[in-house]
Amino acid sequence: MNRRGFLKFAAGGTVGLVASPIIWNTLYDAVYWSQNWGWIPRVPRGDSTYMRTISKLCPSGTGIRVRLVDGQPVRALSDPDNPLSRGALTALAAAETQLMVSPARLKEPLRRTPDGALVAISWEEAEKLLREKLAEAGGSTACISGDPTSTVNELLSSLVESRGSADFYFMPDDEQAALAAWSAMGGMGRLGYDVDNSDFILAIGANMLESWGTVARNRRNFSAGRPAGQEARVKFAYAGPVQNNTAAGADWWLPCRDGMEMELALGIAHLLIKAGHAVPSAGLDDFKALAGEYTPEKVAALTGVDAGRLAEVAKALAGAEKPLVLVGSALGAGGGAGAVMAGIAVNMLLGRVGAEGGLVNLPFPTPVVTGASDYRTVVNRNLIAWSQSVASGETEAPRVLLIYDANPLYSLPSDSGMEEVFTRSGFKVAMASFLSESCARCDLVLPAAMGLERFDDCYTPYGSGEVSWCISHPLVKPFYNSRPMGEVLISLAKELGVETGVKDMPGLLYKKAYSLGANFRKMVESGAVFQKKASGAFSVPVYNTDAIRTALTLKKEAAPLSLAPVVVLGMGTAQTGIPPFATKIITEYQLAGHSSVAQMNAATADKLGVRKGARVTVGNGKVKVPALVDIFEGVLPDAVALSAGLGHTAFDEFSRNKGSNIMTLTSITREPGTGLPVWSSAGVSVDKA
Amino acid sequence: MSEVIDFKIRWGMVIDLDKCTGCGACMVACQAENNLAPQVDASNKLRALNWLTVYRLSNGKSFPDHEVAYLPRPCMQCGKPSCVSVCPVVATDKREEGGIVSQIPPRCIGCRYCMASCPYHARYFNWYDPKWPGDLDRTLTPDVSTRPRGVVEKCSFCHHRWMHAKDAAILKGEDPMDLPDGAYITACTEACPNGAITFGDLNNPKHKVYELRQSPHAFRLLERLGTEPQVYYLSKREWVRRQGDNYLEHEATGDNKKV
Repeated sequence: MNRRGFLKFAAGGTVGLVASPIIWNTLYDAVYWSQNWGWIPRVPRGDSTYMRTISKLCPSGTGIRVRLVDGQPVRALSDPDNPLSRGALTALAAAETQLMVSPARLKEPLRRTPDGALVAISWEEAEKLLREKLAEAGGSTACISGDPTSTVNELLSSLVESRGSADFYFMPDDEQAALAAWSAMGGMGRLGYDVDNSDFILAIGANMLESWGTVARNRRNFSAGRPAGQEARVKFAYAGPVQNNTAAGADWWLPCRDGMEMELALGIAHLLIKAGHAVPSAGLDDFKALAGEYTPEKVAALTGVDAGRLAEVAKALAGAEKPLVLVGSALGAGGGAGAVMAGIAVNMLLGRVGAEGGLVNLPFPTPVVTGASDYRTVVNRNLIAWSQSVASGETEAPRVLLIYDANPLYSLPSDSGMEEVFTRSGFKVAMASFLSESCARCDLVLPAAMGLERFDDCYTPYGSGEVSWCISHPLVKPFYNSRPMGEVLISLAKELGVETGVKDMPGLLYKKAYSLGANFRKMVESGAVFQKKASGAFSVPVYNTDAIRTALTLKKEAAPLSLAPVVVLGMGTAQTGIPPFATKIITEYQLAGHSSVAQMNAATADKLGVRKGARVTVGNGKVKVPALVDIFEGVLPDAVALSAGLGHTAFDEFSRNKGSNIMTLTSITREPGTGLPVWSSAGVSVDKA
Repeated sequence: MSEVIDFKIRWGMVIDLDKCTGCGACMVACQAENNLAPQVDASNKLRALNWLTVYRLSNGKSFPDHEVAYLPRPCMQCGKPSCVSVCPVVATDKREEGGIVSQIPPRCIGCRYCMASCPYHARYFNWYDPKWPGDLDRTLTPDVSTRPRGVVEKCSFCHHRWMHAKDAAILKGEDPMDLPDGAYITACTEACPNGAITFGDLNNPKHKVYELRQSPHAFRLLERLGTEPQVYYLSKREWVRRQGDNYLEHEATGDNKKV
């Protein structure tokens, strides 16, 4: 080829290449593939439908509207038509649909093999095994339930108790202390709080805008009482050791040491009596004498609350038209009855018992399942007393232990005896939706259908101001190989010859509706909610000063620092673990990498000789957990704030390997008088790591 | 910087910081609504991808005079968005009626100029492949496409909800450009249990936000930069308002000159 020929060929080739689609296709591919590497899912196509129900994961049964696309639940939205939550949604309820398919969801029945592994088995095998074990165990059966609002408890109670056992327990929560306190003060039913109609709420220890009581409803009231851009109609004060989410919304924060709620309430009572607020009732003089000892100065020394600020709040409380004092514990359990009694007494001084926007008396539910214990009996049972008794060898461990929707190994203090209960019990059965720490230690794990997949209910959660009853009904078939536990228990009871009086869960809920006078069909079809105002008629409460004095003798351990727990509902419950989306709402002052963050104020850090970012250990003499220091001035002096809900060893990658479980730092004492287990006041020490 | 276009409708938010308690329900709802992938470890906040972030504010005082507040920060949908003028591929723009700053992930080349120019840190880069472990992708909503690694994304004021609201209005024979208050709200507004977020048309006197933004307690973040944000905040507390901008000591907040 000569030179001319070569140039012709090159020119022709260039023109040909430009005219061909090769260059453009290559460019297109380069753009396309550089932006689509990696696999990303396509979004679904289909019609959306919306159905109303409740979140059974949220402890107070928040009302939700579920969006389904082609029958698949994709979103849990707020439900403005739910008369209880009135459009409020908690961060946990918002994650309901994601949790249905979370990696921690139990998919098959699991059985422990002799080599210690949990392997999948069929439902037939699982049910046969459970039936045989229960038949063998007879009366040596115990059960722990973590969902006190569900009527499924009656099935569990009937199943366990009809066979001669009285060991059916609820996981400890604030209602146990409240019930003991309310009974001691002369109340006949359940203690309720008419938060809806109050215009000034003093929450002592109760994280009412985040996790305590009927939280969605509390927050809707907070919202309605404080219209955006307008003057607040409802005032809030919060007493607790940390400026937590409730303190952030409150008008006053009373920085009070954890475990000193009773002393604080008596300090308020002192100021109210001094200002002439003392509605008479039996025992008033004695109570006046006790409250007289709690001068603002003494209370300041005991609780850490400045005398001036205490006086300011007491004045505002007395000046309000419909004030309400409610007492709870930061962790939602482990608080004593003494503090609640003192809180009731403050309400009594103001004449707020049985009044609109005050304390109310709620009736106990009537059991509808044959052979089931009534609610009051079960709430009054003391799980910790039993588990510690099993641990000490005084009581024989059960041959079969049933764990229903609870995670006692994670959520109870390490000296609760639960570890020994698990070690010594013969055959442990978990009924749960997620692979929790407790499930991981069981011999048989039954995957429970979730709230959107089953018939269940939520009866008057603790913290309510009226009787309420909501129903969850299956919007979809149970995912994976899970089954509604209510149905499993009914069929189990039948096979074991236990008479429950119900055929299936809809039948059970229908019976419940009938006993309440509710319209079951309407509730299922339209998501309606049953409500009934508290009846005003009940015995006049008394100032039981003796009981308060006895509770005051509780020994508070002397420790250099106190633990201030911070609970955020968005981080899930002991039963759910951390929901997948919640990792992003966990802040840098709650978790840093894999380590918990210990928040303390600058004065405390100086005293300890540590700075922000320092690696420390927080210990209680027996257990030490690692943490990183963060300086936050919203913590009491000599207190260390740590987030609850971390330190999971089970569930999935969203929950594991994140911080430490603060329950390991708590230990149990018994409240004098009531004998209730108390673990709200934990002494700790901080050492440089 | 881009010039302000006078839209007939300007969607905006007024967030009452005295009502926000920092629970994170808005963040969860936002992730679920807009198909943000969950992250196993989101403790490195520079790598965590959120369209809406809640910041904790402090009055800077020592115990016991310390006060705390929480500030949810979506995209400000600025009237003069600094991100738009720097985008070399027009992957972000502010031209559509309603005044929402668009973000078109397929066009984005991942240069992140917009992130550098946004004074609110409202833009996020997909550092990692988005992953929905197990069956979590079954809960994807049909409204918002998933985005790959290497592109920037941000809050869209749940733009798809506006589309749905307009469609619904047309079906009812109503004017889609004159929606009643509450016909279109974002997922975070809907989810907030405290009612801290109010959403609506800032130009429409029939909408609650119109009145709220004129409150003497209303302010916008860094508004002296001239970005004209469409997100307003409310607080009766002076120390909270002062954190909205770099005020000199003698300067007071709380007027409504900004409206």
